[in-house]
Amino acid sequence: MTTTAATVAETLVTPDAKPTRSPARRRLGRTLIFVAMAIMAVIMLYPFAVMILISFKTNAQYLIGSGTSTQTWQQINSTLPIWQELWNSTVVCSLSILIILVIGVMAGFSFAKLQFRGGNVVFLAIVSAMMVPLQAILIPEFVNIAKTGLTNNYLGAVVVYAALGTPFSIFLFTTYFRRIPDELIEAGIVDGLGYWGVLWRLAMPMALPAIATVTVLQFIQIWDDLLVGLLFLQNPSERTITVGLAALAAGHTTSIPLLMAGSLVSALPAMIVYLVFQRFLVRGLTMGIDR
Amino acid sequence: MSLTASLSASTNARRNPRTSLLTKRRRRVGVLLILPALALVGLLIAYPIGQAVYYSFTNWDGLTTQWIGPSTWVQAFHNPTMWTALKNNAELLLSVPFALGIPLLVAVMLHQRVAGWKIFRSIYFLPTAISWVVIGLVAEHFFAYSGTLNSLLSDIGFSGAHTNMLGQENQALIALGITFVFSMIGTNTMLFLTGLATLDPSLEEAARIDGAGAWRIFRHITLPHLSRFIQLAFVMTVISAFSALFSLIFVMTGGGPGYSTTTMEFLVYQTGFNQSMFGTAALYGIILFVITAIVGIVQLRLIGAKD
Repeated sequence: MTTTAATVAETLVTPDAKPTRSPARRRLGRTLIFVAMAIMAVIMLYPFAVMILISFKTNAQYLIGSGTSTQTWQQINSTLPIWQELWNSTVVCSLSILIILVIGVMAGFSFAKLQFRGGNVVFLAIVSAMMVPLQAILIPEFVNIAKTGLTNNYLGAVVVYAALGTPFSIFLFTTYFRRIPDELIEAGIVDGLGYWGVLWRLAMPMALPAIATVTVLQFIQIWDDLLVGLLFLQNPSERTITVGLAALAAGHTTSIPLLMAGSLVSALPAMIVYLVFQRFLVRGLTMGIDR
Repeated sequence: MSLTASLSASTNARRNPRTSLLTKRRRRVGVLLILPALALVGLLIAYPIGQAVYYSFTNWDGLTTQWIGPSTWVQAFHNPTMWTALKNNAELLLSVPFALGIPLLVAVMLHQRVAGWKIFRSIYFLPTAISWVVIGLVAEHFFAYSGTLNSLLSDIGFSGAHTNMLGQENQALIALGITFVFSMIGTNTMLFLTGLATLDPSLEEAARIDGAGAWRIFRHITLPHLSRFIQLAFVMTVISAFSALFSLIFVMTGGGPGYSTTTMEFLVYQTGFNQSMFGTAALYGIILFVITAIVGIVQLRLIGAKD
């Protein structure tokens, strides 16, 4: 129906030299785009549909492919240490992000506002550490941290996450603090705040959007990470939820519905943070481009 | 004239000691404030790079070291497994055009702002928040013998085409590549959409009035405008292909069947933690480091050339 309308409109319009698009053809185009986007939406929602649908089956129902049950959800607490793992993830995330923020704000302020000799070289060196993949240094890193005994508690993973997240945070805060006028800093110094006071009482509050960006990006990154947690949290009781999930998946006896329920639980916090703070995420991703 | 000059000179002279005192203090604070960052990055990122190089010349199981010279390197380059891993990495790079092209298309469609585009945008970005461990678990279900892919195939009449992609040496890597592309869609779409938002709409409007078709507008206005964003997405995607697939591989294939989905990053893990050959694993890490460094430097050059 729409197609015919469009063809008619097209033949009517053709005599015109300029291909000004007729409303009918335009509508057709937009309908096609809508359909394409809807199909894309189905694809992108697929993981969530799978997790929800399969988690409402027993393992037997999953294997035969029909039936629903809430049994998996009722038993999830007794079959998976879900609360413990959520707590572990929260602790590891919070401690790492705190270190990343404090160190990043301090260094960013210094690089942006307290020009000292060699500052630019050090800045470049630290920022280029962003490009070093963990796997490249994984082996010595693991041996070093294991020797200190930190792999037996949260701190092993926390320091590694902090080291991996700090370069980006420094880059972001430096870019951000460069926008603060020098006069403001000087005024703070003249008022007797000292550099320490200017940093925490003047500059830091102005950097709240950057703090939000770093927090959101790092939260999702650390919450979702497997490799660091897998190696640097040696006690199963300190595993994050993502590591717990992967370990469960590796043991082949596990029921798939249980894995899907666990996946959904693990995904929810990051999804909520993500939906609420979407705009900070976008800003962080494109920080390097629009200066 | 000379009066002003001498006046300002004398003020300068009077002010100088004070200024330099302040400058000194500022610099001292500046150095103090970066020390924690320097310690953290130095000890946990820079130092291990040096260690990795050193250990690659030793016979090392994590406890005892024994200098054996470059023989580990010779062995590594004669080890077919390493070449398989590099080949797998190279083949995975074939997915990069898709990981950029699909998001580009999606972003351009979103940019048309048809009804409901904001909801679609949120839906497309949502998988970005979930762990690749979770995506891997779902993908395992998708590609499984009794999974979604096969039921889709039989729905459209290809029931004979039943496959078990993850279980076959020649198909597992393709399944991994598809999952990787899916995982990159959200981030790259977000990047391109941000780029499109900075495009002046009157430019497109002017071109349209001049009679340019949709393709020409895209080719000559939209695409050049996005070039920086495409570059950034390209580098991020390539680096991810080399260093972010661990979770997917760990969950979906464990590197198998055989070594058909073992990439360099996974080989580091396997060699170190399954075979306890720390020296060789450290060496593989260095090779991975060199590859990503080259990608990074090329990117810097590209940006430098544009500026």
